[in-house]
Amino acid sequence: MTFEPVLTARVGRDRSQSIDTYVADGGYEALRKVLGGDWTPEAVTEEVKKSGLRGRGGAGFPTGVKWGFVPKDTKGKPVYLLCNADESEPGTFKDRLLMEKDPHQMIEGQIISAYALKSRTSYVYIRGEFFHGARVLDRAIAEAYEKGFLGENILGSGFSHDITVHRGAGAYICGEETGLIESLEGKRGQPRIKPPFPAVFGVFGAPTIVNNVETLCCVTHIMKRGAEWFAKIGRNEKNTGPKLYCLSGHVNRPGVYEAPMGLPMKDLLFGDAFGSGMKDGRKVKAVIPGGASAAMLTAEEIEDCPLDFDGLAAKKSMLGSAAIIVMNEDTCIVDAARNLAKFFSHESCGQCTPCREGTPWLHRVLDRIESGEGRAEDVDLLEKISNQMANGMTICVFADAAIAPVLSSIGKFRDEYRYHVENRRCLVGSRPSVEATA
Amino acid sequence: MTGRRYSVAPAGRPAEFPPAALERIEKILSRYPTKQAALLPVLWVAQETWGWISREAAEEVARILELPAAHVAGVLTFYTMYNLEPVGRHLLQFCTSISCHLAGAEGLVEHCRNRLGIDLGGTTPDGKFTMVEVECIAGCDRAPSMMVNDAYHEPMDLASLDALLGTLP
Amino acid sequence: MSTPATPAAPPPAPKKDTLTIVFDGQPVEVPPGINLIEAAKLAGIEIPHFCFHPRLSVVGQCRMCLVEIEGIPKIQAACTTPLKDGLVVKTTTEKVRDSRAANMEFLLINHPLDCPICDQAGECKLQDNAFGYGEQRSRYDERKRQYAGYDRTMIGPHVVADMTRCIQCTRCIRFCSEIAGTGELTFLDRGGRTLVWTHDGKPLANDWSACAADVCPVGALTTREFRFRRRVWDLQKTPSVCPGCNVGCNISIEARDGVVYRFLPRLNPAVNDYWLCDYGRFRSESLNERDVSKVTVREGGSLQETIVPVAIERIAAEIRATIDSEGPSAMFFLGSAHLSNEENFLLRKLADHLGCGNLDVVVDRSRVRRMKSKTEWIEGDHYGANYAGAVDMGVRPRAGGHGLADVLEGRWTPRLVLAPDAGFAVAADDPDAVARLRQARFLAVAARTANALSRAADVVLPAASLAQKEGSFTNVQGRVQRFERAFLPPPPARPQWELLLMLAATLGWGDRNWTPADVRGLIRKEVEGYGGVTEEELAGGGLMKKGLFVSTGAV
Repeated sequence: MTFEPVLTARVGRDRSQSIDTYVADGGYEALRKVLGGDWTPEAVTEEVKKSGLRGRGGAGFPTGVKWGFVPKDTKGKPVYLLCNADESEPGTFKDRLLMEKDPHQMIEGQIISAYALKSRTSYVYIRGEFFHGARVLDRAIAEAYEKGFLGENILGSGFSHDITVHRGAGAYICGEETGLIESLEGKRGQPRIKPPFPAVFGVFGAPTIVNNVETLCCVTHIMKRGAEWFAKIGRNEKNTGPKLYCLSGHVNRPGVYEAPMGLPMKDLLFGDAFGSGMKDGRKVKAVIPGGASAAMLTAEEIEDCPLDFDGLAAKKSMLGSAAIIVMNEDTCIVDAARNLAKFFSHESCGQCTPCREGTPWLHRVLDRIESGEGRAEDVDLLEKISNQMANGMTICVFADAAIAPVLSSIGKFRDEYRYHVENRRCLVGSRPSVEATA
Repeated sequence: MTGRRYSVAPAGRPAEFPPAALERIEKILSRYPTKQAALLPVLWVAQETWGWISREAAEEVARILELPAAHVAGVLTFYTMYNLEPVGRHLLQFCTSISCHLAGAEGLVEHCRNRLGIDLGGTTPDGKFTMVEVECIAGCDRAPSMMVNDAYHEPMDLASLDALLGTLP
Repeated sequence: MSTPATPAAPPPAPKKDTLTIVFDGQPVEVPPGINLIEAAKLAGIEIPHFCFHPRLSVVGQCRMCLVEIEGIPKIQAACTTPLKDGLVVKTTTEKVRDSRAANMEFLLINHPLDCPICDQAGECKLQDNAFGYGEQRSRYDERKRQYAGYDRTMIGPHVVADMTRCIQCTRCIRFCSEIAGTGELTFLDRGGRTLVWTHDGKPLANDWSACAADVCPVGALTTREFRFRRRVWDLQKTPSVCPGCNVGCNISIEARDGVVYRFLPRLNPAVNDYWLCDYGRFRSESLNERDVSKVTVREGGSLQETIVPVAIERIAAEIRATIDSEGPSAMFFLGSAHLSNEENFLLRKLADHLGCGNLDVVVDRSRVRRMKSKTEWIEGDHYGANYAGAVDMGVRPRAGGHGLADVLEGRWTPRLVLAPDAGFAVAADDPDAVARLRQARFLAVAARTANALSRAADVVLPAASLAQKEGSFTNVQGRVQRFERAFLPPPPARPQWELLLMLAATLGWGDRNWTPADVRGLIRKEVEGYGGVTEEELAGGGLMKKGLFVSTGAV
């Protein structure tokens, strides 16, 4: 049975962003249903729980359960829903697509989620670089207000809601939920100590839920077609629903692909409907399965590898933001690790000692090795530095993310590192060069 | 910019928001329960007004939002998209994160440096181009990806970069 | 049918007002509302830290205080772990030891090896924790980060910045925001490039700016006034009270070889807590000034050097002569807000003994100086530490007696003036005021620095500075606070209480061998409200006249 796209159904269609296109396609029906009188906020949360939806931002936490962490009695404090549209994980570009091409799918999901959370106000925290996405969203939100899907007493239900688009300004760490909250409050995006958790004490000291763009889009469909329908999609009951995969790197057809959760890695890379195989007939050397923060997998490890939360956890990696980055046999792994270490050292917020000092240290050592000045003890040193940066040493798990490429690349390509140090050059390839596109 | 973000350059004249900008700021303030929360959006208004955020602009924002100037400076320098000094007409932002790196972004950057005769973070003497390195801008499937001001240009190669530099006004 | 009797419910367990925390197997009872690091200290266990400070918000950033908490698999920052009854904490496990060594390594990789030239050495948390918890060897062999242009630079009028030493603990930032309320400091940039600095154009210039240097655990912020003057381990610390105003902040006089090098705040939660204002702090240098080193007596037209007993004898003779010719009410005794309770008391007792009702004390008003105690803001508004005490001791005109205003405004001219503090107020350097006082036939003063009054006097006795004597002051709260002597005055200089005892004994009152403690015994008996101020309670601390407080003396 071929899989009918759910999240990307309208992508590529003419005027896909417009509310008229969306409504003509059955858009905002789910919202009408939810606000029609038959659904209580608690019932909506139950439905989302039943669907098995797990957060699409990277952590994969069950969404319905997260919503349930908001205290029943908020002691007069408002509840805030924050849409995390800060998409900055290297290799990830699905939220950009969703917002630029089908903003109403997300907006509807956001309003429904707000209803379930009894939230009066929500924000879309969108990364500053998405100028176009923010403009599209602003227009779409204005359309939604005009049609009465936002504002006071939506569809006569008594439920009122406002959405504001809030633009970030260039900081990956604002994708971390408490970094996002700090940024929304008008501060440096430095993650908070947890506990207290945002559901209890979040933005402006009020209960807050942070959900990813794709997660909110899923909510729309869950309420439109039911939790059971949603749960039937996907590899098993712990990994449900349609999933957007971001494929990039040395494949013939990089892009966003929608498939049921649990698509086999090899299908994504080699399937005709997907990546269509390796560019120039090269072989796979390594794959990062879930964004820069995920442990690399070798060509052997991707043989039997379902792309879902549990499938990748079993491989000691993670689905994360579902950003699959493919590296071919001409790639110097040390160079790739160096590039990722540069990313993390640029994006560390700088609050806490191990990350602030450790991420540049890792970068410097990798830089030295890559430029032919590695020393015999460097590979062990990289592992030692990494191992003393994570597992509770830091305020947030940015450091745990930063060490993943270092530890996994050393663990699986130690010989290449040794070669690099002993011979003062790359085992394969050199700095990648730009090719002329046709 | 690849340099350190420690100094907010003075413009040498007071920063007064034009009426249209002040209207936008009023609207922005109405969407947040605290003035401080409006800081990032108001800084964007400042950048859209002057192209960059000077010391005087930062102090004016601090005054409007009733925040210590040091707090505004702390926020301004944390977020890399706020320009702390004037930039060229075209801000060339080259992504050099992993997927773009694998597609040869560094060669693109090198080519641009040679063609414009400036370093990363620098501006051409005629004030036309500033080039910077940025981290992942979510254009990975169209790598190497870059932005010029607020627009994406992707995928790029040496030829299309030359063409782009040639046609930008 | 009989129903079985319901057993009475057991009485509710008495509600504990402490929490039981187990540290490394040892349970300890601690009060609620403190931090886990403070609780550990109560148990005698040191949890190393940098960013935690008992009076600043908790940020959990330095990561030095990581411990193991039973029931939580990952190590936790002690400072951010809420106190809970029954919490079990382990501070000696391998995980904890490794985490401390790791954090020390991370902090030292970019830290400059400045110890030989850094003022902080000897009172540096980085040194202490490196020595206690770090490894001996460094594995770092890359370029160290530097903040070029942000070293050896004034960041404000008093504070020198050497930011390459900074460990980004944010204590200084939090002090300026939360205590001073002025918020001059911030982080700039991010990641490993993070710099603590001000916004350009707005220096670190609040009234308590040097406290930022106090809280800085390393030598990134130090004071200009102390820079390179003395190694801290050379300094002898003496508990004292700031002479700057009537708030009476508790200080530590840090001195060596008869030179005062600096004041540091001394902890007193009821007065100044951990803080000290810049004005008071930098009065330290004034204690080293001395213009008057000799005893002089004016004979004929010239000044003759003499010795203390001779000068005292001369003053006594003049007093007797004045009493014989014009009577005791022709004399005027001028106390001082800069003199101790003991000194002002002795002056008044002398006047009483001689039957003179003309005494007075004045103080110059200053702008309001605010100080943050643990719970509130205290305001001082005098340029003198002890106006309240002088008044309490009775140094005011008796009924029908004359005060200083009468003299200065020409309503009355004394024949003899005795002023044990020639620097009693700004008026002492005012030519018109001094001219009025000089109309007396005989004018005797004790002085340390010269002014118009001391230059006009017939007898000048060299006086001890605050650091060179002991005594007590009464502050704006009515709190009596003791100050100790840091070092002896250079002979022939004496404390004024000693000079007054000598003079009084010569004139038939008191005992020249009394100590200030003996004088306080008299004060306790005779001055209302000072009855409860016992010696034990005064030691190193201060009491309310009607209350009780003991300072820990910790700096």
